Amino acid sequence: MKKLVLLAVVLACGGGQTHPNLFSTNWSDDNGASIAAVMAKIGSAKPAVGADVAVGVAGNSDKVVGVALAGGQPWTFAHAVDVRPTIAGSVVVGEGGGELFCLDATSGRRIWSRQVGPMKMRGAGDDGKTTVVTLSGNEGGSVLLAIDRDGSVARQIESDKGLGVPAVLAGYAFVPWSRQYVSVLDLSSGEEAARILLRGKVSHAFAEAGSLFFGEQDLFRLDDKITGGSRNQATHLALPQRELPGTPALMGPGEEPLGPVALALDKTRIYAMPTAGDPIGFAGDRFYGTYFRLAMAFDAKTTKLAWVHDEPVDLVGGAAGPSTFVLCDESGKVLVLDAATGGVERELSLGAPIKSCAAQADGLAGAAAQPVPPLADQISAALTNRDSEMVSGQRLLLRELATLDDESVTKTLVAITSNPLTAPILLADGRRALAARRSGAKYMLDALAHHYDFLHDVLLTPPVGPMAQALAAMKNKQAAPLLAAHLLDPADSDGDVKQAAAALVEIGDASEAPSLQQFLALYHAAAESEDVANAVVSAGQALLAYGGPAGRKAVDAVLADPMTLEMVKGRLTAVEQQADAQKAQSKTTPPAPKK
Amino acid sequence: MKHAFLAGSLVALLATATAGAQNKPPQVQVSKTAAADLKSSDGTKIRAALDEVRLAGKTAGAPYVASIVALLDRGMTPELTTAAIDTLADLEAQPASQAIAEYMQHRSVRVRQSAVKALGKTKGPAAVRGLVKGLSDQDGMVRGVAANALGQLKAKSAVPDLFLALDHRVNEAATSIGMLCDPADCEKLGARIGKIPFDVASAGVEQVLFRTDVGDDTKIKLVGRIRELGTREANKFLAETTKKWPQKGSARIKQALDQAVQATGGGS
Repeated sequence: MKKLVLLAVVLACGGGQTHPNLFSTNWSDDNGASIAAVMAKIGSAKPAVGADVAVGVAGNSDKVVGVALAGGQPWTFAHAVDVRPTIAGSVVVGEGGGELFCLDATSGRRIWSRQVGPMKMRGAGDDGKTTVVTLSGNEGGSVLLAIDRDGSVARQIESDKGLGVPAVLAGYAFVPWSRQYVSVLDLSSGEEAARILLRGKVSHAFAEAGSLFFGEQDLFRLDDKITGGSRNQATHLALPQRELPGTPALMGPGEEPLGPVALALDKTRIYAMPTAGDPIGFAGDRFYGTYFRLAMAFDAKTTKLAWVHDEPVDLVGGAAGPSTFVLCDESGKVLVLDAATGGVERELSLGAPIKSCAAQADGLAGAAAQPVPPLADQISAALTNRDSEMVSGQRLLLRELATLDDESVTKTLVAITSNPLTAPILLADGRRALAARRSGAKYMLDALAHHYDFLHDVLLTPPVGPMAQALAAMKNKQAAPLLAAHLLDPADSDGDVKQAAAALVEIGDASEAPSLQQFLALYHAAAESEDVANAVVSAGQALLAYGGPAGRKAVDAVLADPMTLEMVKGRLTAVEQQADAQKAQSKTTPPAPKK
Repeated sequence: MKHAFLAGSLVALLATATAGAQNKPPQVQVSKTAAADLKSSDGTKIRAALDEVRLAGKTAGAPYVASIVALLDRGMTPELTTAAIDTLADLEAQPASQAIAEYMQHRSVRVRQSAVKALGKTKGPAAVRGLVKGLSDQDGMVRGVAANALGQLKAKSAVPDLFLALDHRVNEAATSIGMLCDPADCEKLGARIGKIPFDVASAGVEQVLFRTDVGDDTKIKLVGRIRELGTREANKFLAETTKKWPQKGSARIKQALDQAVQATGGGS
């Protein structure tokens, strides 16, 4: 009964009949023969360049707003929105209140609308004449509609299969289904003219850069190699493997309708535009990732981070263009960024805060971009965002930052690890990265000059331990007096004190002996943790190394004191014996003969 | 056995000391071995000697100060360290201030708390320096005791730091500022009335009002500041101050207080 109602809703619009044998699984691989025939018929026809627009769902999901990326006033189309509008070529197709509607993408003018009842749109394609739309049917099934510009249904096909997002070219609908097939339907006859079997997950067909592509995570191009699809010989483009926060996807499953409100998955997305030329690649050699308020661009060949852009509010949609990256944020702001640098080329407005966004930058030409700071500074700026939601993205950026040699990276790491508001997990990462730095010592020395000071609002000690490790590795002797001062700062953590003492063994000299002696006296019998006890041992080792007779005397006094902690006594005895052995060996070893 | 006897004696001595009036020093003799015990490495002996010296009082204990300072310089367990510091505090041994001040940077907060309390008793420039440092300590008790002690020690040089402490909610600083402020600083304290809790501000103002080295004009300004609040707690404070006002005290202040009490009588 429900099926009859559904059919009645659509058939009332007119159009062709259904073909029950379509999308049959009882199909033998024809090794590309059928698609080769279709390709021959299509000839040189190519998808037209789509409209460069951004479209959002605004208000109470009761209006669609859009703006041309080249600039201009935003448009508004008041209509209930139950499914996120999609941009197909030069039109926007959406659905709400049981009605499917098609708008001119650049003006928002209604082109047609049709009642579709309870069906939900999954996706649409358009070739400038015909719009193909897949909708959810009964019990997991689907309906494919081909609608002419006048709103009449030229073809209606039902299937019990879950059809994905379709595309249309030269009278043929390309319909992905069952995650591996693309059925090519001749819209004039309603027959399946060809079938493509692809060795990868396929739930979307779309036109971009003058070609048709199929895929979901990986992309396959419709070209003369598509005939080898079942043999894994189709022109194929895989996203480079690299760590991204939130494990984002290029596209979600095409069989699932998208709601009007962007979810977390929509805010953590990958964007990339495949190229039409050979060899296939990514436009601008870039792919992009968003993570809530962060947008990141990566070199498609090396996967290295190229730039970072952070926004004050969440990014809910976007599109990669030939030389640009377009982003929409929740406030309704649309940014056109230079793919190469991340510099802002244009800032547009959808005219209202939005709940979700779709964009298309198929032919958008690049423009002069605002200058951007060096990558290290871009990352630093992104790391100052204190929203805990951002931590995963920030951890990735921190790791990226740590790979840069720029001295200012050290400055940023010091700032992050000295900030009481830094998330604990980010703090730990930052300290590890700081310990591994081998440049930017001046920033570390500046930081070491600071101590906890309640009256002057310095409520977090500097990252003494990691800086001690880094400065010792750099053999930076200027750090020694500063580290000696931290040895006696009770606000420093036990771990930091341990590292400071260990570093002083390496880079200290006689001028640090008084502090070391004081430390030895204070804690040889009073160390309340293993870290501090280890620091006492290091202090003794340093005194034996460069403390002179007074240093030796101080160590011997500690060893003779019954109150000295056993652990300290044992290790310090071993250290002293080793020092004595080395001294004796250096006396007995004859000097190297003069050349 | 010897230790048991010693412990028993100490308990008795402590009881005597507690029962006795504060201005009546206990008549305890330090044993002949105390000096040697303080120089030993035996924790038990050191502890016993420290207790003896402590109970012997300021005069009898004075000869042992150097030995106890030497113990601190040498370093001991936290328990013995606090015992040594407490002993030096009871002896009010100013020569020990420098050694005790070194312990203001000890990692054990118990040790730092002992040290800050001791510096208030041992006094001297080294104590003042240590106490000013204590205002910035991580531990609230150390900060509070340091602020209080600086007032007790009449450390006028510490007034700027005390203001900083007061602005960082070290409330004890208000009383000390009230004890130490010159007219300009007293006015700065007055300017904080209404901005910091009333009980904190009034504790400082009360100190100023009863000082004899502060002029009437300064005091009248402070009374005016309190009066301007017009609150019930302001009225209560003014009324209590009026009651306590000495008969031979300034008539101008008395008049100002009376008028202020009257003016704030209907305060909420």
